[in-house]
Amino acid sequence: MSGQDRISASVAVKEGQAVCAACGHDLGPATKPWKDHAHRREIPLALAGGQAYDTGHEGVLLRHFYCPGCAALLDTETAMAGDPALDDILAARG
Amino acid sequence: MAGTGETSYLVATDVGGTCTDTVIFGTDGVIHIGKALSTPPDFATGVLNSIVSAADPMGLTLEELLGRTHLFIHGSTVVDNAVLTRDGTPTGLLTTQGFEDTLHVTRGAYGRWSGLTEERIKNPVQTDRAPALAPRDAVVGIPERMDCDGAVVLPLDEAAVEQAVRFLVNEKQVGAIAVSFLWSFLNADHERRVRDIINRVAPGAYVTLSSDIAPNLGEYERTSTAVINAYAGQITNDYLTSLQGLLAEKGYDGATMVMQGYGGLLPAAEAADRAVGMIECGPAAGVIGAKFLGDLMGDPDVIAADMGGTTFKVGVIQDGKLEYAREPMVDRFHYLAPKIEVVSIGAGGGSIISVDPRTKVPHVGPRSAGARPGPICYGQGGEEPTLTDVMLLIGYMDPGQFLNGSITLDREKAERIFKEKIADPLGMTTQEAAIGIYRIASAQITDLIREITVERGLDPRDFVLHSFGGSCGMLAAAFGQELSVRRVVIPYTASVNCAFGLVSADVAHEYSVTQNLPATTSAAQINAIFAPMEERARAQLAAEGIEPDRMRMEWSVDLRYSRQVHEVTTEVAANTPLDDAGAARLVDDFEALYERKYGRGSAYREAGIEMTMFRLTARGLMPRPTLPAEEEGSADASAALIGNREIYVETKGGMAPGDIYDFNRLQPGNSLKGPAVIHTPITTIALPDRMTARMDRWRNIVVEFDAD
Amino acid sequence: MDPMTFSIIRHRLFRIVDEAVITLKHVSGSAITNEGHDLMVSLYRADGTLLMGGVGFLHHLTSAAEACKSIIRRFEGDIHEGDIFLLNDPYTAALHTSDIYLVSPIHHEGRLVAWSACFVHVYDIGAVNPGGFAPQAPDIYTEGFSSPGIRLVAGGEMRQDVLDTILNMVRSPEMVTLDLRSMIACNNVARDRMQSLMTKYGAKEVDGACAELVNQSEDLFRARLRELPDGQWQSRQYLDVNGDTARVNLTMTKKDDRLIFDFSGSDPQSPYSINCTKWASLGGLFAPLFPLLCYDITWNEGVLRPVEMIAPEGSIVNCTRPAPVSVATVGAIQSVNNAACSTIGKMLGASEKYRNQSTAVWHANHFAIFKFGRNQKGGDSIGILTETFAGAGGARSFADGVEIGGEIPNPISRMANVETVEAAFPVRYLFRRRAPDSGGPGEYRGGTGGELALVPHKAPDGGINYVISGKGSRHPMSEGLAGGYPGAPNSYVWVKAPEDGANTPVTAAGGLDAISGTQERVSWGVYPLMGRDALYVRWNGGGGHGDPIVRDPEAVRRDVAAGLVTLQSAGDIYGVALRDGAVDETETMAKRKSIRSARLQQEASE
Ligand SMILES: [Zn+2]
Repeated sequence: MSGQDRISASVAVKEGQAVCAACGHDLGPATKPWKDHAHRREIPLALAGGQAYDTGHEGVLLRHFYCPGCAALLDTETAMAGDPALDDILAARG
Repeated sequence: MAGTGETSYLVATDVGGTCTDTVIFGTDGVIHIGKALSTPPDFATGVLNSIVSAADPMGLTLEELLGRTHLFIHGSTVVDNAVLTRDGTPTGLLTTQGFEDTLHVTRGAYGRWSGLTEERIKNPVQTDRAPALAPRDAVVGIPERMDCDGAVVLPLDEAAVEQAVRFLVNEKQVGAIAVSFLWSFLNADHERRVRDIINRVAPGAYVTLSSDIAPNLGEYERTSTAVINAYAGQITNDYLTSLQGLLAEKGYDGATMVMQGYGGLLPAAEAADRAVGMIECGPAAGVIGAKFLGDLMGDPDVIAADMGGTTFKVGVIQDGKLEYAREPMVDRFHYLAPKIEVVSIGAGGGSIISVDPRTKVPHVGPRSAGARPGPICYGQGGEEPTLTDVMLLIGYMDPGQFLNGSITLDREKAERIFKEKIADPLGMTTQEAAIGIYRIASAQITDLIREITVERGLDPRDFVLHSFGGSCGMLAAAFGQELSVRRVVIPYTASVNCAFGLVSADVAHEYSVTQNLPATTSAAQINAIFAPMEERARAQLAAEGIEPDRMRMEWSVDLRYSRQVHEVTTEVAANTPLDDAGAARLVDDFEALYERKYGRGSAYREAGIEMTMFRLTARGLMPRPTLPAEEEGSADASAALIGNREIYVETKGGMAPGDIYDFNRLQPGNSLKGPAVIHTPITTIALPDRMTARMDRWRNIVVEFDAD
Repeated sequence: MDPMTFSIIRHRLFRIVDEAVITLKHVSGSAITNEGHDLMVSLYRADGTLLMGGVGFLHHLTSAAEACKSIIRRFEGDIHEGDIFLLNDPYTAALHTSDIYLVSPIHHEGRLVAWSACFVHVYDIGAVNPGGFAPQAPDIYTEGFSSPGIRLVAGGEMRQDVLDTILNMVRSPEMVTLDLRSMIACNNVARDRMQSLMTKYGAKEVDGACAELVNQSEDLFRARLRELPDGQWQSRQYLDVNGDTARVNLTMTKKDDRLIFDFSGSDPQSPYSINCTKWASLGGLFAPLFPLLCYDITWNEGVLRPVEMIAPEGSIVNCTRPAPVSVATVGAIQSVNNAACSTIGKMLGASEKYRNQSTAVWHANHFAIFKFGRNQKGGDSIGILTETFAGAGGARSFADGVEIGGEIPNPISRMANVETVEAAFPVRYLFRRRAPDSGGPGEYRGGTGGELALVPHKAPDGGINYVISGKGSRHPMSEGLAGGYPGAPNSYVWVKAPEDGANTPVTAAGGLDAISGTQERVSWGVYPLMGRDALYVRWNGGGGHGDPIVRDPEAVRRDVAAGLVTLQSAGDIYGVALRDGAVDETETMAKRKSIRSARLQQEASE
């Protein structure tokens, strides 16, 4: 990864470590799934807000990953219970 | 018309993006030409300057000229400019409840990609709609509904209308209100009642009804048209009123006629209420001018190409007929109004030449140096090589001969920068690279014109090419030959062609009725649709002072095959009102036209044929000025030969000697052979090898390709 | 080669494709081709590799290349000037049976020098349901006529027996004839123009330019890939049909100048016709790849070379015969395309240079609803609800998505006017507008989708029927980026009129809930729209980008004023408090603070 790369608009990379782009909280090596170091919360889609998400079906989840440091929302996934997190990692330079 | 003895004048002034052109026809048969810079947003100043510049050489003051003027014809970009610069009146929209988003949704992605180049369409992430002229918070849905037969499903809620008008005027501070309800073109009752309410509640507001301005099927386009018209209406009104006031002050007491995008004239008072009608009237006038010349020279099939500094425009005249645009746009907004089709792309003398640093492939455009800073050789600060600079490097332009020698071109600087930015990266000599760029530009224009003709089911080999604009003459013979057009004409009036078009136009009103009927509809039923339109039209023309013997009623009908989307406007060729044979002929003509336009085997007759729209063009014929024809004399052009220099000659594969001629010294009948260059006061004509140029009776340059 | 001649030939190749597209639209005249732009024309080199892809439905560019190649294999030694071959078997190369390819060899001086190929979605293909999408088909055998390659035109002459055989198997053979005729005319134009190009510049010169063009695209694309960070990105799509849910899993790995799309872990093929074959999956992933990564690179074989796809056999993205696939284009293919859009968006977002090219998923879920029945004039009418082409833009890293802004794989689409539909079908709209809260929340909001309601109107038979292949009303499919929420999912509701004899609704300003009656969700099969009932459809918005609670409160206020976001969502999701139509800054700060603290109150579950 080059100095200017990042994982996403919300997760930056600093000296090889994934960090919260808002507060700099360390989220582990950028070459490993950073979500293991984030605060994870799942809510039924129907409760995500507004009426449009309420499909009348259960078992569909919105999965949020928050920064443990500043509570920024770092990533959101649509998921069904038990499905693994989606991992985005940068390769080591070299 | 003119009084006895003293010459009287017809004055036509066309306001273009850069220049305002004037053509004056005297009853003595003499033509005078004037030119001045356009002066947006106060266009009237440029108009007067332009007329003065024509009057000066006549030895007349503005007042003297206008005192002897019997008719003033005008075309202006005032509406286009108001839309492009977002300088219109704050506008609100009243529409059918439940459909408040129609204007802003633009039929989905249509409004996002329309008007963009293919390059930009290929990168959707970087594309957006243009913000609508009426903001969403100034759109109010009104409880009311008509159905597909124009029957009332839900009556108009007048109290809601009144409340909405107060909201728009008081809270949203709008000065104009567009009204567009579903199916209003079949039953305008609700829209008209809304207008009455607005007039009562907010008498100062400018109002446009969609059923007035665009009584056609398709609520998105109809709404968009009403909004554009409301937005630009007040400005247009003010402009035409003040222009007429200024002319009156200078002694003019005649009528002012205003050019419309469909190529007809309207009295100023009517034009003021139909702002959308004036959009792109300049290019339309240009096509009318080309048609006039084509008629004069006996060429009914003409491709009119106009290349100036920034844009390349093409109009097609087939069999003496003009084609209307199917989906006209202004800026990036769709509208519905009859408009002559003129295809425009960003290619001109100012097109910037570049070399893609990744691939080393040269490109012409799409960026343009415009009028400022312009080409390097103009010496106005341009630092990027343009097509005009290339023309200089291949010998087509003469550093000392440009615009009658008013600017000396800086060839040294153009060459230095072209070498550094183009030739060196390509690993070529300056001359090789410049010739290559010329070939690319010529090939790309060939491709463009071919595509435009294919789109219309036409074959360029049947056409004569008219070349207008300052940059076209250097390329026209080359791409004309590759297209195998019959010949190329560089008209004498090329520099003021749009103004010239104004004086060859007629008063014209367009009416239409949208109604879906089977092809088996009786002649009587068709006549019953046209009769009220004709009645309205005759009354209108009479009110404008047109005598009955100068009125022409042209009927046409849009037809289509029931399960196919292409509608073809088919002229009614039989005598009107129709008899049954005439009605049958209409359908036959449609079928022939359809196959010609869309290709053999493209018709699905089994599904049946239907009529969708009935159109009336009501013309009031204007006295046509006659272009004085001179006697053709000797073919010997040597008196105009002013030199010989190295120019690009395709057949030689490089630079070779070419004869240089001065247009002003050529006489009708003179003939000369390529390779040669003819310098005219406004352009340069490059004549390739194996071609012959002749000056005709009207001082047009006619280029013919030698037989092999 | 001479860069000038190269530039001229390149420009002309683009125009050849354009002219062929114009011809296709002209001759066909069908609404789906002309309005929906459901078509594609492209040029291929002598070996069948992609030379020049046009702006059509981008899923087809690579599949049509495979169609050319399989025709070359099948007819080797028996391919002649003026031949045109038809291919529509999904297990050979096509996406589904109703998207027919016509491929035609281009000869110059007796030598095969190139191919042209085009497709349109034909009016009917003789499947169990009319219109091509067959939700009731249990297998490929009930999805209509299919051919792995057949000579339709031999040496410029139509093979009438072949044509008659095909037409004998479809509904409305006249319309299908027209579709085929338009494709033949299109291929003829492409062939004529290619031949005159070669006559002018020489076959060798033109082929040299073509080779150069392909190599150039490869070089440019590899150079771009090298500029992007190495890494691995994942996405997942849930496709629900009739109660079943199938997953499409994607891991995209970028290393140096190569890109690998690995669909391992995707679910087995479905009993429903949403499956797709491997060629279709390849087309699906290239549809977003061309415009997102190669917007300034010519779309050809060179772009394909650095890309590898892994799709497990027997899965929903590489199904095996006789799995049904007729809904593939709006089923698994669209999910592959969404998944690829998501991982490519993530990769672009990770790059300093290209982050502004990154986008959340656009319009992820087409709803194929074909209305059919007798109309108010007594004639038969059949046609797709064109709102499915209206779409919605995904949020970008710098801006909101475009409201009802279309989709990535079909760059130039549009929907019909309400009046056009009401003139042709015995229906009346109660409303058609942007759907509030449908755009995925984020710092940059996904573009909203839309909603509409239809009731029968002046229908001679009391109404009409429709075929709906409407998967995806459970799961949002337009994924967000960097924390942005997904766009709200589609919704299809049959509102059954109350028994008490109330009239057909004339207006419903309040939306779905203002239509009286009981609401029943529908999604798959054939249904009536009769009597006083109504059909409500909401289509998905685009995905959002970033954390909604950092969105500019002023932007949220504007959204609420414009009806794009509800007051409730403004508070709950965006943490914005509005008072009298203005932002209450103090309360907004308090609200956002409390959202933040609530986020961390629960224990991390992993
Ligand atoms: Zn943080």
